Amino acid sequence: MTVIHPLQDTLTSRDGSLIFAIIKNCILSFRYQSSNEWELVGKWSDDFDKTQEIKKNVARDQQRQTSENENKNKKLKSNKGDSITKTVAKVPSPGIGAPPIYSYIRNLKLTADDSRLIACADSDKSVLIFDVDRASKTNILKLTKRFSFPKRPNAITVAEDGTTVIVADKFGDVYSIDINSNPEEKFTQEPILGHVSMLTDVHMMKDSTGHTFLITSDRDEHIKISHYPQCFIVDKWLFGHKHFVSSICCDKDSLLLSAGGDVNIFAWDWKTGETLSTFDYSGLIKPYLSDQHLAPSRFQNEDNSIIEFAVSRIVKLSNLPFAAFFVEATKCIMILEISEKEKGKLSLKQIINLPYNVISLSAQNDELQVTLDNQKSPNVQNNFVKFIQYNPNDCVFVDNDEKSNKFDDVITQSVGRDSNLNAEEECVYPLYNISSLRKHGEHYS
Amino acid sequence: MKTKPLSQDPGSKRYSYRINKEENRKELKHVKIDESSLVQQGQKIDLPKKRYYRQRAHSNPFSDHQLEYPVSPQDMDWSKLYPYYNDGGTGQMTKKVTIADIGCGFGGLMIDLSPAFPEDLILGMEIRVQVTNYVEDRIIALRNNTASKHGFQNINVLRGNAMKFLPNFFEKGQLSKMFFCFPDPHFKQRKHKARIITNTLLSEYAYVLKEGGVVYTITDVKDLHEWMVKHLEEHPLFERLSKEWEDNDKCVKIMRNATEEGKKVERKKGDKFVACFTRLPTPMIL
Repeated sequence: MTVIHPLQDTLTSRDGSLIFAIIKNCILSFRYQSSNEWELVGKWSDDFDKTQEIKKNVARDQQRQTSENENKNKKLKSNKGDSITKTVAKVPSPGIGAPPIYSYIRNLKLTADDSRLIACADSDKSVLIFDVDRASKTNILKLTKRFSFPKRPNAITVAEDGTTVIVADKFGDVYSIDINSNPEEKFTQEPILGHVSMLTDVHMMKDSTGHTFLITSDRDEHIKISHYPQCFIVDKWLFGHKHFVSSICCDKDSLLLSAGGDVNIFAWDWKTGETLSTFDYSGLIKPYLSDQHLAPSRFQNEDNSIIEFAVSRIVKLSNLPFAAFFVEATKCIMILEISEKEKGKLSLKQIINLPYNVISLSAQNDELQVTLDNQKSPNVQNNFVKFIQYNPNDCVFVDNDEKSNKFDDVITQSVGRDSNLNAEEECVYPLYNISSLRKHGEHYS
Repeated sequence: MKTKPLSQDPGSKRYSYRINKEENRKELKHVKIDESSLVQQGQKIDLPKKRYYRQRAHSNPFSDHQLEYPVSPQDMDWSKLYPYYNDGGTGQMTKKVTIADIGCGFGGLMIDLSPAFPEDLILGMEIRVQVTNYVEDRIIALRNNTASKHGFQNINVLRGNAMKFLPNFFEKGQLSKMFFCFPDPHFKQRKHKARIITNTLLSEYAYVLKEGGVVYTITDVKDLHEWMVKHLEEHPLFERLSKEWEDNDKCVKIMRNATEEGKKVERKKGDKFVACFTRLPTPMIL
C-alpha cells in the first residue's frame, strides 16, 4: 500500500509561524496562519546527481594512472599486444541486490534571526544554506550555497553571529565554515578540532564571562569541551557515560543534559565539569519496549533476552524548566522537570503517550513538535506531527489537537499526490538508526 | 577443513607457551614483587620469547576493540599496575604516571627509561594484544629477577587505544613526557587520519601534557617525519626544540638506541629521524 512517507524531522521558527519538515530528500515549509490554518509555502528537493561527480573522479584517477604508467614506461596492452589508451571514464553502476541509496536530509537549523535555514544532505555530504524569503509568494526556500565535505556531516550548529556554521562529521572532525564565503572547488580545509570517533552532536555555548566554548559528543562515551575560536585548547571532558552519547542540550547557568545508550540521563555543570544528577529511565520505559528492542541476533544470547534501547534525542524547552526526550522506537515522550531550587536535579514531569512510534522531537518556545511513524494508520492517514504545548494554568503538557489535525490536513492536501513523497511500505527510509551506534567490542586483537 | 591458526591449535608449542604464560600473568600481574614475596624465592623467571607473541603488525584504531579503560582518570586503579608505589596504609598511590610511551611495542624504551628515571612512573600503551602480553610477561620477569633492588617497579603497560581514550587515563597536565617511537606510517593519503600525530589529536596531547612537557618523535620514514614535524610546528601549543637540545637530552639517546624498531633500523643501516617539541604555556583565552 502506498502511503505518504512519514516526516523524519521538523523545525519551527522562533516566532512559531513557520515549520520546516523533512520527508525523504525533500524539505517542506508550512506557514501557520492567524486563522489557525496551515499553508504550504516552500518546497525544495535534493536532486543532486552523483554521476557527474563520479565521472569526474574516475576520469581523474585514470589520468593519474596513465601518467604514472607513462613515467614507468608501462603501457596498457590489449590481448593482441596493441597498446590502448583509455579516454572515456566508465561509471560503475550498482548491480542487482545492491543496497538502496537513501538521500537523507538531516539537521535542520535556523540562524538566530530566522533568515536562513541550514541543513545537511547525504547525497553529496554537503551543508545546504537556504535563504528564507518570507515575502515570496511561490517558494520561500531558496538554496544559495552548497558546501560539500569529504565525510558526511552528522551535526551542525550556528554561531550567534549568524554567519559561522560549525559542522561535525561522521569521521570525528569538526569544521567551521563562513556562510558568506564561496564553496571551494577542491576541499582543502583543516578541521578545527576532532575526535577519533563518530560525532553525534555539537553545541556552541557562552559562559557568564563571555567566553565561547564548543561542546561535542561522540559515539565513544565522550563529551568534549573546547575553547572557541581557540579550538586547539581543550577545556575538559565530561566523564560518566558508559555507552555512546547521542544527543546533548544546553540551558542557562551552564547546565547541560546528555543522553544516549545509557539508562541514565546525565545533568552536568559544563563549566565546572561536575555531574549534577542522573535520571534512570529504564524502569519507566519498560512498558513501552517491544521486539524492536531485542539486541541484534549476532549479539543476542540463547534465551533471546538481551534488550537494548537508547535515547534518540533530548531537547530543552527554552523558556520553561523542562526537558523532553524519547527512546528510539517507542510510543511516548518523557518530560523531565529541572529543579530550580536544587541545580540540575531531574524528576519526571509527565509521560505523553502517542499513537505511533516517535521518529523525531524538537522544541521551540513552549511547544514540542513530535513526528510519528504513521505508516500503519487505518483508513485516512493522520497523526503526522503532534504539537504538544505547555498549559501554564494546569501546569501540564497537552496535545494541541486542532493544530495537529489541521497539519494532517495540509500534508494530505499538499503532498498526498506527490509521487516522490509517497512510498510503498518497503521503500520507506530507515527511520531508526540510533541503536546501531551501540558498541559491542567485536574486534579482539 | 580450514586449519586452525597456530595460536589456537592445542597441539602447537606456541599455544601451550601462551597458556602457560597467561596463567603466570594472571597470578603475578598485579602482585607486589619484592624479596618477601614467596612466589619466586630466588628463582629466576625466564624472559619471554618474542617468537611466541607474533601477531599481525597493524591494528585499526577506528574499530570497536574490546578494551578496558576507566570511565574517568579518577576511576583508574593505578595500584594494580604499580603495586610498589601504593601506600599500604592509606591505599593511595604515592606517585602519578608522568611519562607515557604511546605505542610502546615490545617495551624496549621503557626498560631503558626505568633506571634513568627512577622517580617517575612510566606507562606504555599498546593496542596489539599479544604484544601487550609480551611486555607484561617481560616486566613480570624483570621485576622478579631484580626483586632485591626493586628494579622495574616504575614501568608498566596497558592495552588500549590512545587515540580514543588517552583522556580517560590522564588528567589535565599530568604528563611531562610523551614518546611516539616508530609509529605506524599509514602511507596512504586516505589513511592519514589514522596517524598518531594529527592536528586534532595534538590538542588532546597538549591537554594531558603539562606546560614545558616534551613530545618525542622518532621514525625511519622520512615522509612521516616531515608530516609529524609539520603538524607539530603548525600547532599553536607546541614548539620545536633545537638540535643542540636533542643532542644533550638523555631520552633522545635512549630513544635512538633502545627500542626494538630502533635496533632493527640500526641493523639495516636505515635513517632515524628525531624531532622533539615542548608544550608551550596555554595562551590567554580570547
